[in-house]
Amino acid sequence: MAAFASLDSQTADLIPPGKAHLRDSTQDAARSLETFLAGVERKAFRIAQIALRHEADALDVVQDAMMQLSSRYASRPPEEWRPLFYRILENRVRDVQRRRSVRNRVMAYLPWRAEDEDDAVDPIDLAVDKAPLPPAQLESDEAMAALEQAIAGLPGRQRQAFLLRNFEGLDVAETAAAMKCSQGSVKTHYFRALQALRAKLGEFRT
Amino acid sequence: MIGDPVEAGSSEFERRARALLTQSADQLPGAVRSRLTQARFAAVAARSVRAPSFARRWVPAGAAVAAALALLVLYVPHGRGLSENPVANAGLEDIELLTDNDAVPLNGDQDVDYDFYEWAANEADGASASAVGS
Repeated sequence: MAAFASLDSQTADLIPPGKAHLRDSTQDAARSLETFLAGVERKAFRIAQIALRHEADALDVVQDAMMQLSSRYASRPPEEWRPLFYRILENRVRDVQRRRSVRNRVMAYLPWRAEDEDDAVDPIDLAVDKAPLPPAQLESDEAMAALEQAIAGLPGRQRQAFLLRNFEGLDVAETAAAMKCSQGSVKTHYFRALQALRAKLGEFRT
Repeated sequence: MIGDPVEAGSSEFERRARALLTQSADQLPGAVRSRLTQARFAAVAARSVRAPSFARRWVPAGAAVAAALALLVLYVPHGRGLSENPVANAGLEDIELLTDNDAVPLNGDQDVDYDFYEWAANEADGASASAVGS
């Protein structure tokens, strides 16, 4: 809760003296917002990372979603934050995917196309790690990699439904709010995602 | 989540997938966790420095109303009648002159009877010459 260290001085200028109850409620709201964001940030990052297959882009997307929720929707009831946050996150993911698509199309026409710095292979990544992983960890990592690849290959709505329902644990109504569709559509997307993943992975186990 | 249909009726496949995904989220590298924490602090701070929602909602509306009132005061002529506004009256007078059928035509040379004016001038000259001779 280190963020609150700076909040007192920032909010003190805005709230007149003698309105201590306002200051308390502002701090309570900031505290509950921070608690909410701390609870969703890691899963949100993984959801963005699976969709974008890029760590830096995923971090940017999560940061944007946090800022937008905080600046525009923090006054909404906290029960609404989760679906709102994941809707913003998905919109940001699609923005990045669209930008990539346009960039790739433009770059395909350029004869002098240079290697993009972001696409360049980092030699450190190519270095082989000599330390052997424990067998259980290795199997788990391989299973995770296979699962991640299979989820990334799903159509966008199916991927979203699967991750929000199965990973983030949103119920059908919250998922429908996050995806801006009917609850029936959520069930359909989830069922199809499950079928597709089973077809790709089988009953994978470690 | 208690009562969540996915949790309650989930298959082995779904449970396994959830466990793997949760494990991967719990084992994020330190650099990523640090960036997420910074982003969270920035988001909370951005919210806290905003003005209270009442002021945020009504200050722009009040400014717009004040600007509209200022425009009304500056540009609408109030307390003066139509006859006291020379610019508006000049426009109306011009229109009356242009639409008056009895006025002298400004561009009506084709309708002027020059023979008549010549005869009248000669008559006037003759009359004055006879008056001088007599």
